[in-house]
Amino acid sequence: MTPRGVARTVLVVLVVLVVQSTVGLDIVIGGAHPDLMLLLPIAAGLALGPEDGAVMGFVAGLAADLILPTPLGLSALVGCLVGFGVGYSTRSVAAGIWWFNSSVALAASAAAVMLYAVLGAVLGQEQFLDVNLVAVVGVVATFNALLAPLAVRVVGWALRPSGEDSRAAIAGSRW
Amino acid sequence: MAKPRRSRRTLTTLIVLILVSVTIISIDESGRTRGVTSGVKSVANDVFSPLRNGMNDVLRPIGDFFAGAVHYGAVVQEDHNLQRQVGQLRQQANERPYMQRQLRQLLALEHLPFLGSVPTVMAETQAQGSSNFASTIEIDKGRAEGVTLGLPVVGSGGLIGQVVAASHHTATVRLITDGQSKVGVSFGSPANQATVDGQGPNDPMNAEFIAPATPIRKGQVMYTNGLAGGEYPAGIPVAYVTSFKTLTGASQMTVSVRPMANLDELTYVDVVQWQPTP
Repeated sequence: MTPRGVARTVLVVLVVLVVQSTVGLDIVIGGAHPDLMLLLPIAAGLALGPEDGAVMGFVAGLAADLILPTPLGLSALVGCLVGFGVGYSTRSVAAGIWWFNSSVALAASAAAVMLYAVLGAVLGQEQFLDVNLVAVVGVVATFNALLAPLAVRVVGWALRPSGEDSRAAIAGSRW
Repeated sequence: MAKPRRSRRTLTTLIVLILVSVTIISIDESGRTRGVTSGVKSVANDVFSPLRNGMNDVLRPIGDFFAGAVHYGAVVQEDHNLQRQVGQLRQQANERPYMQRQLRQLLALEHLPFLGSVPTVMAETQAQGSSNFASTIEIDKGRAEGVTLGLPVVGSGGLIGQVVAASHHTATVRLITDGQSKVGVSFGSPANQATVDGQGPNDPMNAEFIAPATPIRKGQVMYTNGLAGGEYPAGIPVAYVTSFKTLTGASQMTVSVRPMANLDELTYVDVVQWQPTP
């Protein structure tokens, strides 16, 4: 990745982190709020594939972990797995349907929240399974599905090698 | 040939990232090395907090707009409540002596009786519920202001929680409703002991270890017991009983309690500078 790409990625992660910890926390539905940091690896996986999805998931997750009261590294682990999973499972899909990115974001977000809860419980945070998972999954998945088309564009801009066509163009054309 | 090589590199990248993540988690979970990760988190919070606060001033109106749109019904209800309160206040405005007496009582309440002579640090809440999986608040006071790990936090009518992370100018408070929170309490006369367990945000808490046939009533207030080695001073109101029952053959009662403090209104809180006696 070029220095400009690194700078763009850091900028996108930082901006989303600030939005998440300000506006994101103000939106509470059923006791749950959106998780925009989770959208970054999903968007990276959709836009550029499994490797970039995993790297973006690790970076965004670690950034979130640093300011969250939950175990350090847990969001990074879930992020890289989700980013890789999204990129891998959609790598050969080039369907021109407008709702494709949103559908993937919906499913991936739901899976990521449940994976986070289960991994947290395995690591001794049993209370992760006591929270209203239905509400958390519903809120996180819905918001991420709504914002996925925009996120794919933004992350594609941040990670795309300059002067090179990428899946972002294809992904962007889906909507 | 290029494609399999790229696939191998992708897989290698994933494995490396997983290994790094697991290593970080291990370091964070290990008691001996936890100080390292706490330090890193503390520095990150010191760097991030001013940025968040600055942006908060700009972005908060947008968040409030969405929150208002989503909770339109609640906003209307609150508006009705406020209008009713305005009517009541107009009536009370004509009873000046009564109001003055009330003011004196409120001023007395400002020095909450359960704090006694223990010094406190007043803090403003910067963020509430930063994770969907933990009940916490972020406050604008940290180590520089005397807010250190383990200190109890009170306000809004009772115990709120405990400081679980402190950076230079901010701190994280774990609320008593968090699934990891356990508070030793006493209630009734003669005093019965119990433990109030958090069950997660928005869920009622449980009072554990209350023997069957223990005299208890709905609305009964439970206070921190201040037992030796405990994490809170004695006498802080923690919760009140909302329901209780004894199942046949059970070794303890099933008691549901609610926090005394209104955890939805935590604009300002007091950090009690009290350390447990060893």
